[in-house]
Amino acid sequence: MSAGYIDEMHEAFHSDLVYRSEDIPLECSPRPKEMEQTLHGVMKLNGLVIRSLEEIAGRGANAVTYRAGKKFGHEVAKYFQKREDVEGALHELSDLLRGQYSFEVWKPEDKETFIIEENGETFIYLVFHDCIVRQTLRRNGLEQGGPLCQTLFGYVVGAIEEITGRKAKLEIVHTGPNACLKKLILK
Amino acid sequence: MEIHVDTDACVGCGLCVKDCPMHVYELQNNVSVAVRPNNCMGCLSCHEICPAQALEHRGIYAARRHYIDIKVCEMLRKVV
Ligand code: SF4
Ligand code: SF4
Repeated sequence: MSAGYIDEMHEAFHSDLVYRSEDIPLECSPRPKEMEQTLHGVMKLNGLVIRSLEEIAGRGANAVTYRAGKKFGHEVAKYFQKREDVEGALHELSDLLRGQYSFEVWKPEDKETFIIEENGETFIYLVFHDCIVRQTLRRNGLEQGGPLCQTLFGYVVGAIEEITGRKAKLEIVHTGPNACLKKLILK
Repeated sequence: MEIHVDTDACVGCGLCVKDCPMHVYELQNNVSVAVRPNNCMGCLSCHEICPAQALEHRGIYAARRHYIDIKVCEMLRKVV
C-alpha cells in the first residue's frame, strides 16, 4: 500500500483531543438539530427489528442479516470501478460508506506491513471509527457484534468481492464504544 | 497516542489489562501502566470498563455520536 494513502488516512483519524473517562458527552456531534427525531426514530425502529429477529430466528438471525448486507454490498459496488488491488478497493469502499461509516487500515507496532500473513491467513486490520450500527445498538441498549453488525460485515465483504473479484471474509476482533477492530481476511 | 493512568485513582483491579485486545496495559506494583501505547487503536472499551475512571487518552479520534438522548442531555445540563 502506498505510504501517501496510509499517511492521509492516519492523519484524518488523529487529533490533539484529550479524552477523559469522566467526560460525559452532552450533545451529539455534529449537531443533529434538524433531523434528530427522524434519526432517533430510524435507530429505534432498526433496534426493534433486530431484537425481534433475534427473538424469532435465534442464531439464524446473523445469517439472515449477513446475507442481506452482502447482497446490498454487491448491488451498490456494481457501479464502482473494478480493480484487483486491495488498497484501491478499500479506497472505493470508504467512498461508498462515507457519511455512515469511516475506517482506517491499522497494524500493531510489531508488524511491518498492513497486509499481514499469519497462521496461513492473509488479512488486513480495519479500525472502524464512525459507525451508524454502533450508534444504533448503543441507543437501544443492545450488545455489539450481533445481527446488526453482521449486516455491515456482509456489506463490506460484498463490496470488496464485487470490486476486486476476490473472496473475502470479515471477522470482529474487538468492539468498543469509540471504535471496533475488524480483520478483513483475503482468500 | 498518549495514555495516562491516574495512579492515585487506579485500584489495581486489572480489568483494563484483561479487556484491551492489544495488550496495551500491564499491572506493575498493583497499578496499571500503559506499556504499549502505540498499539492502541482507540476503541475506548478500557474507559468503559475502568471502575475508577483512571484513564486518559490523548490524540484520539472521537467517533461521531448520534446515540445521545437529547432530552436526557437537557436534564443533565441543568444539573451538571
Ligand atoms: S482504547 Fe482500546 S486498544 Fe486502546 S488501550 Fe483502551 S482497550 Fe486498548
Ligand atoms: S481498570 Fe482502571 S482501576 Fe482497574 S487496573 Fe485498569 S486503570 Fe486501574
